[in-house]
Order: sequence, then structure tokens, then C-alpha cells
Amino acid sequence: MALEKHESRPVAEKGEHIIARHLIEDENIKEEKNLVIDGVDVSGRWNTFIISRVDSEFDRSFFEEIKKTVAGSRINRCWQCGMCTASCTVTPLYRRFNPRAFIYMMQLGNLKELKKYIDVAWRCVGCYKCSQRCPKQVNPAEMMEALALVIKKYFPEEVETKLKLDEEVKKIYEDMIIGHGRLDLAKLHTSAMQKSGRTKELLGKIERGAILKMAKDGRAFSILKLGKPHNWGSSRKAIENYLHKLNTIENGEAGV
Amino acid sequence: MSENILVIGGGPAGLNAAVMLSELGVNVALVERDSFLGGNPKKFKYKFLFPDMQPADNVIGELIKKAESGGNIKVYYSSEVSDFKENGKKFDAVIKSASGSETKTFDSVIVATGFEHFDPARDAKYSYQLFDDVIDIKDLERMMGENNFVRPSNGKPPKKVAFILCVGSRDRHVGNQYCSRVCCTVSVKQAIEMREHFPDCEAYIFYMDIRTYGFFEDLYWKAMEEHDVQIVKGRIAEITSGPDNTVVCKGEDTLLRGPFEIPFDMVVLASGMEGGPQSPEISSKLGIELDEHGFLKPENVTLSPFKSNKPGVFLAGACTGPKAISDSITEGAAAAMNAYTYAVKNR
Repeated sequence: MALEKHESRPVAEKGEHIIARHLIEDENIKEEKNLVIDGVDVSGRWNTFIISRVDSEFDRSFFEEIKKTVAGSRINRCWQCGMCTASCTVTPLYRRFNPRAFIYMMQLGNLKELKKYIDVAWRCVGCYKCSQRCPKQVNPAEMMEALALVIKKYFPEEVETKLKLDEEVKKIYEDMIIGHGRLDLAKLHTSAMQKSGRTKELLGKIERGAILKMAKDGRAFSILKLGKPHNWGSSRKAIENYLHKLNTIENGEAGV
Repeated sequence: MSENILVIGGGPAGLNAAVMLSELGVNVALVERDSFLGGNPKKFKYKFLFPDMQPADNVIGELIKKAESGGNIKVYYSSEVSDFKENGKKFDAVIKSASGSETKTFDSVIVATGFEHFDPARDAKYSYQLFDDVIDIKDLERMMGENNFVRPSNGKPPKKVAFILCVGSRDRHVGNQYCSRVCCTVSVKQAIEMREHFPDCEAYIFYMDIRTYGFFEDLYWKAMEEHDVQIVKGRIAEITSGPDNTVVCKGEDTLLRGPFEIPFDMVVLASGMEGGPQSPEISSKLGIELDEHGFLKPENVTLSPFKSNKPGVFLAGACTGPKAISDSITEGAAAAMNAYTYAVKNR
């Protein structure tokens, strides 16, 4: 009778038989519909396995790969003091963005751990405060670049699905660089707002305050006077050529 | 008439004290328990010394040569002070050796009985002596000295080696709460040596704090920046056997908050220093104080670290606490100066 009851019980959740289920991450639970071990059929409630969370390898080849790149050449120097994370401008906004930990994961080749941070690993804004303060001259800012490249290489699918490049913002950004040769954050912000139809917010409370402040300290006028770098025409041509080539290659690869 | 001074212990501190006193024209009786001079560095065949990697022979060998070349030093090998009495401001000591006992009166005494390497077998979690591939820093030092750096289990060169710091130090469980001062630097030095001679072999150092104090820090930086030695934060709680004849270090990566069980070809334990059985022995024989760590206690650790609580008995080297060879040599000279002053004053 009791057996029948069990059989009729619907399997609702992954690993629902596990006591203290909340302590175990979904991806660490393995359930097979039909499982035979050493000739014994263990299908049913005995087919639930918890994968060990223990790290069982330091993969040094990964470290060697990073070390060969220009941005990551100083990875061997890091002694994990945390000065980079402490000085980081991004960490206060995204606590999961931790340059110190990312460097450590790269040192030990811990891709399993690194994979959990694909969504935030790209957040470095390149302010270089960490590189300026690093006592060992590791250059963590550029290490984050190396990290981005690594993630792109090892987890192309996740990058594709988890990170979506905002094509509109990219277009605005490119236009500004090609058109002016300079990046102006106020202008970037305004055009991005305009293009995404958030014009109302442009004259919101915060923006009004910012405009007033900028008018007072003179920054507003320097924006208006934003000129082009000397002889920008030829540089612009080079960039356009490069982008064109890049497009051709990409299209070629995609078989377009 | 020249002074008579007794020096107990023929390691770096005792040797330097004896050599300096001899140069002052003092008659020195150097009592050594082993059949050779040089103390632990000689006994365990240290090869290169930190921080400048100079051959240990340049230092220890030089001192032994000076002490043995005669002068005013009489060396008593394989001998000990079997009886010790105060005689006014002087001391009567019986020196017992294989050839018999000799009673002599000394104006002052220098104790330089040194330290003992912590025996890692006492701490079962490290599986020392259980697995052939678990060795300690003194074993590795001898291997390097004999140009025989291979896995003890199969005689093949290792590809992945772990150094574990603070073995027998900073651990209430084994009864030693102090830091042994030199093991970090020795381990880092050995990792550099290993990577220099065997670049194929990866080196990992498991640490809680790395205490390569002063300019020894240079070695630590060099190990990371020039030799890619990887440091991993976390103490090892267990060493077990692993697949393919490996030894597995079980620990917690405290920076990522995750447990690990990593197989290695060889594990090197940075065993610390202890006062050894000789410290309480000499303490009761000479009537000088022992401290709570099992080393001899100086009268004042800051003002007179080379004086014992008994006037006329001086201390030098690692018998008062973990010390680098250079510090022991310095203390030998300091104790010699003080012992000489005491002897001359009470002539």
C-alpha cells in the first residue's frame, strides 16, 4: 500500500527528497530518469545524486594562457590583498564584481567558479583606480580585459545568451567617436535617452540639477565647444576602413 | 692568567661565540653533543641559505674551520655537561665525554643549545611517515643538497608539489602557539630553487599568513614574479592518499570560500622550531628559567636578550626562540662580549 503511494507521488521538484534541499544549488543535483549502476536498476527515488562541491584540480594551463597575453602578463604577481576591489568604482554598485576574486580564479584555473560571474565580469569601466593603487603593479584594470576575453573564449554560448549588446547604444557610441573623435558622457547620455524615447526624463529632477550645476561650473560651455582632434579626418577614415574590414570578415565567417 | 669560558653547543651561535672569545685570548671549552660541529645546519645538510642563496658551507664551514684550527678552543665532541655548580662568582662544571669526565672551573658560561625541528609525525593530520611522498623542509633541504630531488615513493621527478606552512607552529592543538619565523622564508626559498632546477614542476604554497619579514620579502616577491609560484590561502586539515599514487591535500580556499581536495605528487611540510628536550634539561641542570614555549627565558627580552636570569650564564641563538642563522651568529657575538665582560670583572 505504502509502495503504491510512493509510486503515484508526482515528482514535482528537482531533488525534492533531499533533506535541507535549500542548501544545495540546482546545478549540483543530478537526476536520471532511468539509471542502472553495476547491473542494478536504481531508477526511482534513488536516482538523485548530489555532485560534490569540492574543487579537485588547479588548472595551471589556464594561468599560462592568461600570462601570455599582454593584458594578463602580470597575473603571477597578485597576492590577493584586495586593494583593487577596495578601490573599485564598480564593486559598490555590483557587489558580485570582485576583481581580486576574478584574478584568483584565473590563477587557479577555476573556470567552474568564474562561470558564475559571466553577467558581471564585464562591468569594469576602466577607471584604472585599481591599477594605480595595486601594491604589486598587477594592473587589475587590464586583467579585467583579459578576463573578458577569456570568458568570451570559454563560454561563447553563455555570453551569447546572458549578455545582449544594446545595438542602439552601440550605434550612438560609434557615431560619436567617428563623428567627433571624442567621447562626451553628457552627449552620450542625452542621445541615448532621445533614441530610446525617454525624452521626458531628460528634463527630470536629476537632469535639471545636473544641467544647472554644469552651467555654473562651466562644463556646459566646454561641451558646446567640443571640437574635433587635430586632423581627425584621416583618423576617421582609418577607423571606418577598419570597421568595414571587420564587417566583411564577420560576414564572411557567417557565410553571408 | 687568561679567562676560562664554557660554551655549550656547537651550532652557529656557539661557534661564533667560541671563535670570538678565542680571538680575545680566552680559553674556551666548547661542549658539543654530536660527533661533529655545526649544529642543525650541518646535521640536516642545509645547502643554500636565504636570503642570498649562498652555500651554507660558506657560513657554517667557515666557522667550523676557525673553531677546529686550534687557537684557544678545546672542542669536546659527543659530550655533555653532566654536573654544574656555582663556586662563588665562578662555575664548576663536569664535562662528560666518551674518554671520561673532566672537572673544570669557568669564569662564565654561554648556553647555545639551539632548537629541534618539529617532528611532523606528531601531528597525525599531515600523514608524515605514513606516505612516502609527504616530506618536510629539512628532508627537502637534504634532497636538494644531495642533488636527489625525486619522489621518495617511486624515484621519479615530481610534477606538482605543495608546500604547507605553519606545520607545528601557531597551532594550539600541537601545543606550539608561536610563529617559527623562518619556515615561510625557507619554503619560499626552496620553491624558488625547485622551480629554477625543475621548471616543469609546479609549486603551490598553502598559507595562512606569509611572514617573510624584512628584506626576506624580496624572496617572496621573486618566487611569485619570476618563478610563478602560486600561493593559496588556507591551512591543510588532512592529507590522504589519492589516485595514481598521489597525495591529496584537503583544505578550504578561504578566499573563495570553497573546500578543495587537490592531488599532488609531493607535499613539503614547513615544520617549525621547538626548544627540544635539551632546553628543559639544561634549564634544570644550570638552574636557569624556561619560558612557556619550551625555550630558555632571557632576563629581559628587549634590553638583554642574551642574558639568563642567573648572573654569569648567557644565552645565544635559537635556544631562546626561533631564529634565523644570521640572528644566531649575531647573538653568539653579543653573548661572547657579555661573558667576557663578566669574566674580567670577577677575575
